[in-house]
Amino acid sequence: MGLFSKLFKGPEIDMAKSDANREKMRALFNQVVENGADYQLIFGYTEDVSRFNYGFVHGSKTKIGNLIVGWKEEDPTVVVVPTVPDLSGCGDPTYYRRSEILKAYRNKYPTDAFIIYPDKKGYIGINAYDWLEDEKLYVYVSQEKELAAFTDFFMNRFATK
Amino acid sequence: MKEFGGILLILLGVVILGNLWFSFVEGVLAKLKGWLFPQREPKVWHTLSPEKEDQDHV
Repeated sequence: MGLFSKLFKGPEIDMAKSDANREKMRALFNQVVENGADYQLIFGYTEDVSRFNYGFVHGSKTKIGNLIVGWKEEDPTVVVVPTVPDLSGCGDPTYYRRSEILKAYRNKYPTDAFIIYPDKKGYIGINAYDWLEDEKLYVYVSQEKELAAFTDFFMNRFATK
Repeated sequence: MKEFGGILLILLGVVILGNLWFSFVEGVLAKLKGWLFPQREPKVWHTLSPEKEDQDHV
């Protein structure tokens, strides 16, 4: 009975691991972003899908980029910091201020993503879920409430249409 | 049954050959990119401060 109930319950979240990673995300973010404590955080990722055709072998490759995404309601701003799944380090932050961006909206197809165009030249698509099990590819963190708060912020205060 | 086994072996061979070919082409392309577009400056990378790492190991 124990085995079957576990099978039907599905994977369980290791909250200790999730909490430790949430603290690491905060530490990294505060390390590289000025007044980092003013921002709320979620984990997000980008997907870069490219097609290849090597003769009789063809298909598509997907590159995943992990992100620490911070946001604040005052002067609505989203800050994106690239990182790696084990949170051993991070890159420089990129700031997207509502007053400076070209447009921002939530995309539903082909994937559910938050899209920001800082200018006409490029864009960033931020994918986010409440939990992703594969810790080799993604940061292991449970963030149901945080994601709901970010979605509300993005849709009601940051999106331009 | 023998025919079925033969077809499986052929499919396995195709998969192995396909993977080898993919790895070979990827390797050649990576080398070419390295020669043609050498990385100018490494991207800035900040490591997690050691105090934070120590806290996690306690």
